[in-house]
Amino acid sequence: MSASPSILSVLSEDLLVHVYGFLDPPCRKTWRLISRDFFRVDSLTRTSIRVLRVEFLPLLLLKYPNLSSLDLSVCPKLDDDVVLRLAHDGAVSTSRLRSLNLSRATAIRARGLETLARICHALERVDVSHCFGFGDREAAALSAAAGLRDLRMDKCLSLSDVGLARIVLGCSKLNKVSLKWCMEISDLGIDLLCKKCKDLKSLDVSYLKITNDSIRSISLLPKLEVLDMVSCPLIDDAGLELLENASPSLQAIDVTRCDGVSFSSLISIVSGHPNIQHLRASHCVSEVSASVLQHIKALKHLKTICIDGARVSDSSLETLSSSCRSLTEVGMSRCVHVTDIGMMGLARYCLNLKTLNLACCGFVTDVAISAVAVSCRNLETLKLESCHKITEKGLQSLGSYSKLLQELDLTDCYGVNDRGLEYISNCSNLLRLKLGLCSHFSDKGLFHIGSKCFKLLELDLYRCTGFGDDGLAALPRGCKSLNRLIISYCSELTDTGVEQIRQLEHLSHLELRGLKKITGAGLSAIACGCKKLAYLDLKLCENIDDSGFWALAYFSRNLRQINLCNCSVSDTALCMLMSNLSRVQDVDLVHLSRVTVEGFEFALRACCNRLKKLKLLAPLRFLLSSELLETLHARGCRIRWD
Amino acid sequence: MIVLKSSDGETFEIEEAVALQSQTIAHMVEDDCVENGIPLANVTGEILAKIIEYCKKHVEGGGGSEEELKIWDKEFIENIDQSTLFNLILAANYLNIKTLLDLTCQRVADMIS
Repeated sequence: MSASPSILSVLSEDLLVHVYGFLDPPCRKTWRLISRDFFRVDSLTRTSIRVLRVEFLPLLLLKYPNLSSLDLSVCPKLDDDVVLRLAHDGAVSTSRLRSLNLSRATAIRARGLETLARICHALERVDVSHCFGFGDREAAALSAAAGLRDLRMDKCLSLSDVGLARIVLGCSKLNKVSLKWCMEISDLGIDLLCKKCKDLKSLDVSYLKITNDSIRSISLLPKLEVLDMVSCPLIDDAGLELLENASPSLQAIDVTRCDGVSFSSLISIVSGHPNIQHLRASHCVSEVSASVLQHIKALKHLKTICIDGARVSDSSLETLSSSCRSLTEVGMSRCVHVTDIGMMGLARYCLNLKTLNLACCGFVTDVAISAVAVSCRNLETLKLESCHKITEKGLQSLGSYSKLLQELDLTDCYGVNDRGLEYISNCSNLLRLKLGLCSHFSDKGLFHIGSKCFKLLELDLYRCTGFGDDGLAALPRGCKSLNRLIISYCSELTDTGVEQIRQLEHLSHLELRGLKKITGAGLSAIACGCKKLAYLDLKLCENIDDSGFWALAYFSRNLRQINLCNCSVSDTALCMLMSNLSRVQDVDLVHLSRVTVEGFEFALRACCNRLKKLKLLAPLRFLLSSELLETLHARGCRIRWD
Repeated sequence: MIVLKSSDGETFEIEEAVALQSQTIAHMVEDDCVENGIPLANVTGEILAKIIEYCKKHVEGGGGSEEELKIWDKEFIENIDQSTLFNLILAANYLNIKTLLDLTCQRVADMIS
């Protein structure tokens, strides 16, 4: 930093706050260290924080009195005792906290939740997804937070109608509720929810075994705007027809994979709600007939339509696009009857198109892609998985016209070659690129990507056998912001190439499955350089020796999830890994041929109070001590026996 | 036309539209106390000249397309030294010219990062 402190001291505090507002998070960390005044500015203005270690929680709450959002989802060892200690500590103020993220905090139970509900008076938003121990007692404890508006309880498998009832009675102001995967919830619970929480605007009941009776209750909600019913097996047309008279403000409905639903029921919903904006019916409706089209034509405000898997003819598609010109998202994957003619119609009329999914549309060729690229200049996301007829010509149009393109999926596209990649690299705003299973490009193609796609964040090269070490080395030179890289099963890669990955400072997700030629040297280089690594998949990397794992244990302090299946890790190295990596919460330890039962016992004991998910070989169930297994279970760790 | 007097005695005569970009001056005009010119005790002549240059460019609701304005802003902010920059921040804050304040603070943030 070039400015001397004396000049900056000229600025008053509110001006410093203004300047601080323009800094991005990585710079804000350094800002704190500069001077006392800067530190105060940071402390006063910070409103959200994600805590990584539970030991720092009380201190952090003290330092940042204006916090409104607290994320504890990646904080290991968080349990009821920690929360109780916080409550007893009078200096800590939680009165401004409005949003609390306890997703996957599996060790928090009723006592802890009851305390949190008591000390956070202003709590409006709580996320307890994936806490499989969250049951009726926990729900009762949470219901004390009467001001709750937004509650996410995805995959709280132990939650039943009784618990839901307690919440509904305690928190009548709820306006957004998500009950995805809460398999114990039935029609009774939904009925009570709809009767008591009249302000409900957004409801997600995906995967639940609710019947048409629930829909009758849902249709009585006066302010409902968003309804998600993905994969509800017992819902059918008769039920959906009840939604015809549902809330007039209904804007979005999702019935993806509801097998009992056909387009006729959607007609009833649509005719009752001409202002509907988002219609998602992927993989359930089988045909878009003329009568259906008649009704969809009337939807002038339609922005999203997902009819993946349906039989759509080109003429239907043209009729649809010429009537619904405000479409920004179209999902037509597996609509195998769509050809270039239909696509050209879409391109001609829907100029605001931003997202287009054409996965597995085998008859779409370069002509269609060029038409879309030229007309729809706002295109941001394009998914062309398994579109085998796309060649470099189509990609050339994308590179020349789609300047706002951010996400491109070309998985399994036979025609992608070096030339094609050269054209794509002209899309300078590209953030996410998927090239899995494309084996026809070589190092040259990757040189182009590496030299021009500076903003690239995610790159998927799964099973791309055409490139080698040189291609991989080209990536860190230009794509410095890369945070997700998949090079699984690219078997030609060796240590020389893999070592270059250490230059990617922001890398957090790395998949190296099946790379049999890499050794400890390669892994050590990655561990030393990629300090932010949080997810690492090393399955089937049989030649990595202990030196690599030691380096991982010393340097990769931010690792949260690791897959070591079929690796040659030894007892001591495994123990080092599990004890040193204090943030690891999710481990896959299947088929570790060099680790003995004792090795597993020691390694797991070292981390038993932090793990949340564990995968082990089935025989170990009877060989590990029952003490260990009980401790793991009590702390909320789920063990999957393979 | 509005007359502005800097702290070191210099006077600047500018059109009302240009001056009204400053919320402080706009309030003074509303309260009708601009008879003999507006004294700005916290702003020196040099800084005031720079501010007037900025306001003149940004007044016509254009003076070029958005792209051109951005390029002009970039050149404007990159060709000044640090002490001028900080004085500009203080003056923009005093005169309450939001766009200039954002521009200068963003520049400081960029310098820090």
